[in-house]
Amino acid sequence: MSATRRLRLLLVPAGLFVLAIYAWPTLLLLRNAFNEVGPTGALVAAWSLKTAADTFADGFTFELTWNSIWLSLVATAIALALAYPLSLFLFRTTSRWRGVLAVIAILPMLISGVVRVFGWLAILGDRGLVNGLLQWLGLISAPLKLVFNWTGVTIGLAESIMPYMILALLAGFGQLDRTLEEASRSLGASPFRTFLRVTLPLSLPAIVLAAGLGFVLSMSAYITPKLLGGGRVFVLATEIFEQATTNTNWPAAAVLALYTLVLLLVLLAFSNLLARRLRR
Amino acid sequence: MSYLELAGLQKRYGASVAVDDVSLAVEKGEAVALLGPSGCGKTTTLRMLAGLVEPDRGAIRVDGIAMTNLPAHKRNMGYVFQSYALFPHLSVAGNVAFGLEERRRPKAEIARQVEDALALVRLAGLDQRRPRELSGGQQQRVALARALVIHPSVLLLDESLSNLDAKLRDAMRHEIRSIQRSLGITTLFVTHDQVEALTMCDRIAVMHRGRIAQIGTAEDIYERPATRFVAEFVGRANALPATRGPDGKVLLWNEPQPVTAPASGEFDVFVRPQRMRIVPLSEAVGAETVRVSGRILRSVFVGDHVEVLVEGAGGQLTVEMPSGSPALAEGAEVAVIWRAQDSLPFPREAP
Amino acid sequence: MNGAGPVLSGIAALVYALILAPIVVVFTLAFSADNFILFPPSGYSLRWFQALAGNAPLLSALGLSVQVASVVTLCSLLVGVPAALALAKGEFRGKDALTGFFLAPLLLPTLITGLALLLFFTPLRLTATLPGLVLGHMTVTVPFVIRMMATALANLPHDIEAAAATLGATPWRVVRRVTLPLAAPGLIACACLSFLLSFDETVISLFIAGPRASTLPVEMVRYVEGRTDPLIAALSVVLIIATLIVVVAVERLVGVARAVGR
Repeated sequence: MSATRRLRLLLVPAGLFVLAIYAWPTLLLLRNAFNEVGPTGALVAAWSLKTAADTFADGFTFELTWNSIWLSLVATAIALALAYPLSLFLFRTTSRWRGVLAVIAILPMLISGVVRVFGWLAILGDRGLVNGLLQWLGLISAPLKLVFNWTGVTIGLAESIMPYMILALLAGFGQLDRTLEEASRSLGASPFRTFLRVTLPLSLPAIVLAAGLGFVLSMSAYITPKLLGGGRVFVLATEIFEQATTNTNWPAAAVLALYTLVLLLVLLAFSNLLARRLRR
Repeated sequence: MSYLELAGLQKRYGASVAVDDVSLAVEKGEAVALLGPSGCGKTTTLRMLAGLVEPDRGAIRVDGIAMTNLPAHKRNMGYVFQSYALFPHLSVAGNVAFGLEERRRPKAEIARQVEDALALVRLAGLDQRRPRELSGGQQQRVALARALVIHPSVLLLDESLSNLDAKLRDAMRHEIRSIQRSLGITTLFVTHDQVEALTMCDRIAVMHRGRIAQIGTAEDIYERPATRFVAEFVGRANALPATRGPDGKVLLWNEPQPVTAPASGEFDVFVRPQRMRIVPLSEAVGAETVRVSGRILRSVFVGDHVEVLVEGAGGQLTVEMPSGSPALAEGAEVAVIWRAQDSLPFPREAP
Repeated sequence: MNGAGPVLSGIAALVYALILAPIVVVFTLAFSADNFILFPPSGYSLRWFQALAGNAPLLSALGLSVQVASVVTLCSLLVGVPAALALAKGEFRGKDALTGFFLAPLLLPTLITGLALLLFFTPLRLTATLPGLVLGHMTVTVPFVIRMMATALANLPHDIEAAAATLGATPWRVVRRVTLPLAAPGLIACACLSFLLSFDETVISLFIAGPRASTLPVEMVRYVEGRTDPLIAALSVVLIIATLIVVVAVERLVGVARAVGR
């Protein structure tokens, strides 16, 4: 029918946009991974695996990989430990402030990352809230090093991925029927046993998906490691940016970016598979 | 030639067939129900008629004019949706005026017609309300007024009463029927509720698996179901497994019966519970009476009648007796009898 | 009665404290009288707001960001809403694949999109230009608009457009008289969120913004990298308040959780 054909015309601008400004640059990125950088630092167009070989021969790449994965794991674990009870609270509460509470929970994702990083600098810095409080209490004499190192980056990262995980958890709680918990209680299970035997198993797929999302976001986060790491925290994301801008070594940046992407895809495939298994 | 004609309509969604082959002729002013369980294709048929779904095959004619390739907005059919589909951003008057505005009628005429339509459905004075401020029954009336005000060639009602509570549904049933009669408007009414179909329509088309299983008056459908499905779906029926005796006689519950068997194959005999009577074992019966014997399992009083569950050699059956009949003791051995002509043999379906 | 129970509510309160801590701290620090980050501040003043009003690089970056975000919002709606309409209303083969294609940019981290755009824009001399920044931000906002509006349009009351058609409205009149009026709150919310997304976009901007054209987040990153004084806190307060106004408006219109959720 002609109405359908006319409707399809509406897709053309968006289609052209995604092709030109998204698909084509992504292909360019792929192409650049096969280029080389000459001895003078000049870009040499080629179809070789030299850049990739150099990158993976460098022990630093594996240190970066390990750093990224470890950092993301810890940040995701912390964020999950905080986001899960909060999401469960939001899911269950009958408060008339529920809408407002939900907005506050995801507020950080609506506020500029730089602003939040700055807040953490003020909380965790040498003369910040935490150190001030601990010194006032007499618990420490010299300030603890909480920022410009892994500690600060982990905390900041955990906070920045939490809102996304809360949304994923809330979406996944759909199948969590309150009457199932009531049934468990009526059968004699304590609230804690009910949580262990009913609530937790039913929300496991949501947990897996939220954790997968949090991990992917952590792996690809740049601002937090850069600013809260103070140049002392090296992960894949910071290295990709350095290679692309400071070193203008595009082939190396492209290789690292594709490598990171592959890691993420493998992880996403794994967490989706696991979530689907659990849902059966 | 009939006023409204559907010829060989078919609609597939991928591998599944929603409507297989539907042909139907409706006279001017007639009300016909499309009755069937969910998924039988009745709503798809209605939507094809309105131009909301494009048929894969077949033709639709109204008053001799081919409608099949006309888009919905050129068909001039009044459609009352199951959800009512009232425009939440428009007032009651705005909703009813919508179709007239699309027809570019003069303002004064629109105002007068809207007023008349709202009066017809007894909603005068509510014209400035928003749909969400109305009760379910009132919303239903707005939807009806909105569909009627455009003077449609055909009125299409899709499960229009299913969202109302039982009492209101009864009232609306009669109201819609009397409006339909007084306007003499040709109406197609989709429903899964047989009472609705039986009370609101001149004829009923029972649909099953995308086809019309039987079409006829309420009495035809009920008394002379054409297929096993119709017998099961419309009204209640006992299905007694039949066997053939060595002499070719039909056996029900191991007793020979004066029932005509189909030429071949296994079959069941359908009998309406209210056509059965319970009598003492000793009572003599005529040659044209079917008689099986069993034991009373349970007798339940359900208001206007008593349901008696009887168990015998071939299984269980339910007899409906008028309330006030003499009480029957559970466990009593009795005979269940009915006229041979009330037996409806249908081939057994493969499980 | 609270449906969550005291234990869960208690834990939730603690988590809320953690979520709000950076924001509260930033607010306090903005009114600090100190020269550096000290918490709690030794004194309070408005000096950092005054310093902010006199900081030309940050102000011009703010101007550029507002400009970019406005153009991005307008263009994203113009490109995204028709596509959302087609995806929500059209019945055609390959629709799922097409939806996946349009939403794909949301899956790739902006770090990788930013790098790809740097490689693409540099030879075209689009880096550090307004069109470059706009196109770059649109890789995020166009899929966002398509996703949000396709959902909003698909969730319109069932059969309401079919009802308009049976009453004689042509497809175009249905869009004008029913679809768009009903989708208007969603559309406004979508525009607000697109603006915020573009305004806050940092990583893509860092890749393609040069010294000549830097957006506010980029300028803020550079500032924080160099110095740590409460100036950024004062700026943050301004931004947070502006954001909150937008968020409250969006919440009133459609509910934030539904708007940003997938």
